[in-house]
Amino acid sequence: MTSAENLTVRLEGRITAQTAAPIWRSALDTLAAHPERPIVFDASRVDYIDTVGVALLFDLSRQRRPAGAKVVFEALPPNLASLLLRFDAAEFAVPVAVRRHVGVLEHVGQSAVAQLRLLGELLRFLQLCARALVRAITRPSTVAWSDVLDLATEVGAHAVPIVLLIGFLMGVIIAFEVGQVAREFGAMIFVVNGVGKAMLRELGALMTAIVLAGRTGAAFAAQIATQRVNEELNAIATFGLDPVQFLVVPRLLAAALVVPLLAVLADVVGLFGGALVMASVFKVSYLQFYAQLLKAVTAQDFMLGILKASVFGLTVAAIGCHRGFRTGAGPASVGLSATGAVVTSIVMIVVIDGLFAVVTG
Amino acid sequence: MDQLPGTPPARVESPKASASPVAVSVRHLRMGYGARVLLEDASFDIHSGEIVVILGGSGSGKSSLMKNLIGLHPPLAGDVLIRGVSLVRAGADEKAALQRQLGVMYQSGALFGSLTVLENIRFPLDRFTDLSLEEKNLAVRMLLRTLEMTQAESLTPAELSGGMIKRVAIARAMALGCDILLLDEPSAGLDPVTAANLDLTLLSLRKNLGVTLIVVTHELESIFTIADRAIMLDPSARAIIADDSPVTLRDRSTDTRVHQFFNRLPDEQRASRVG
Repeated sequence: MTSAENLTVRLEGRITAQTAAPIWRSALDTLAAHPERPIVFDASRVDYIDTVGVALLFDLSRQRRPAGAKVVFEALPPNLASLLLRFDAAEFAVPVAVRRHVGVLEHVGQSAVAQLRLLGELLRFLQLCARALVRAITRPSTVAWSDVLDLATEVGAHAVPIVLLIGFLMGVIIAFEVGQVAREFGAMIFVVNGVGKAMLRELGALMTAIVLAGRTGAAFAAQIATQRVNEELNAIATFGLDPVQFLVVPRLLAAALVVPLLAVLADVVGLFGGALVMASVFKVSYLQFYAQLLKAVTAQDFMLGILKASVFGLTVAAIGCHRGFRTGAGPASVGLSATGAVVTSIVMIVVIDGLFAVVTG
Repeated sequence: MDQLPGTPPARVESPKASASPVAVSVRHLRMGYGARVLLEDASFDIHSGEIVVILGGSGSGKSSLMKNLIGLHPPLAGDVLIRGVSLVRAGADEKAALQRQLGVMYQSGALFGSLTVLENIRFPLDRFTDLSLEEKNLAVRMLLRTLEMTQAESLTPAELSGGMIKRVAIARAMALGCDILLLDEPSAGLDPVTAANLDLTLLSLRKNLGVTLIVVTHELESIFTIADRAIMLDPSARAIIADDSPVTLRDRSTDTRVHQFFNRLPDEQRASRVG
């Protein structure tokens, strides 16, 4: 609706977030098409305006136009008219800050620094754990043994089925894969040596530790992280208790006690899985398997595996607890702590296994 | 806190609320969890522009009623109507469309931790509107300015105080143009000054934008400051035991439970034991 000088634009109905987009574009187009004429926006038929509608009106009112070509609102409810006057165009002139893009090189550098910092923290935490363990061993009455037993049940007894399954399958896989190659050379009986050495020295302990990292390391991290988020750690500290002594030591002891037992179970079922494949696929009887196994492996192999399992157990428990202690604020950080515990544990298990291989090789 | 035009008086009367159209209607609602019924055959209307508080002691079902009103938890029987359309009988798409008409502020704020304040408030606009980024940013920044949160637009929720979280949550609830806002314990955990400022913010939202507010709270100061009506639940009666203006309930109610609540009186037996 145009007059000689003014151009009147009628606004109608509900101007809300859902309906504002086309009105906004059309109104700005109208302003752009008539830069020299005063524009009147008639709001007499507007039913409702929400916050986005207010933003639309404000955007129209702040457009830079010549003195004789201003934007005017007519029949605007008084509350909205005065609301518009509260906003100053200069306040919104500064563009919204855009998130800074982090380049690949910077990202790698930041990650490396973060990992080094984490390693430093972990070493300091291990120092604290070592001190607390020494105190627990020299003064056993300070340890909550009922907690240790509960945790041992959770870490050990409840993990038996999965450890048995993984251990058995490892024995089956090694025997089958090595047996395929050995058959070409007519050296079937030496597959037993491979299965025996691999299970007792490496895989029994390694697979148990990896199951432990996924199951127990993550659980320890999540439990302690939740306690930290809920300020339970602060409550423990204000009772004059040492959170490391109270929460970490029982977990370390439980892991150190039961992980070697789990590794023994993994060794036994792994050897059984290997014997089963040898007997059923490669025609090496159980008796032949047993006799060759006794010749192939030594008590040293077995003890090395158990020692590794103990070290892995302590490592996984300590990393899980450390990740729980260093969690951030809010529930999301609990999940991050649990994930971090699993990743760090597996990396550390492989690194420690490598060190064992170098030292005992 | 900077007010939208004019400073509201201590209590602002609803603009002839009962003459306004009904925004939310509850019909013969039976609410509870399985065999545990918290509310039996409750009916009430909330008119556009009204500020209604739902109150009651701990465990009375205030938050459960709110979940029924926003369709997060289906009632055992009865109906909830949003501007005459049933939320209970609606299909999935229609229910989602109805829910988008309701702005909800949860007690914890429920802000997205990985997003900044500005991105949190822009979140519903990004998903449900065709507005350009500049238009959305302007609308969000004006909301933040209204709530005196301009300086916080680049911060993440972890960097905000309790009062700031509540204000950002209100802004996000309003961003999509919802003119029915439901707020779960907005003043809980706030210091008296921040809580009073938040009350004024709610009053100014109603005054300037005609927003209908349904507030779950048991903060008496807030109730007397903002509410046109108070609906009081009682778990032992499994019913609404009061529905009137807070001042009337405080001064004239003959129900001992209502009188005790509004005058903040302890149980008589306990008071006599303490002396």
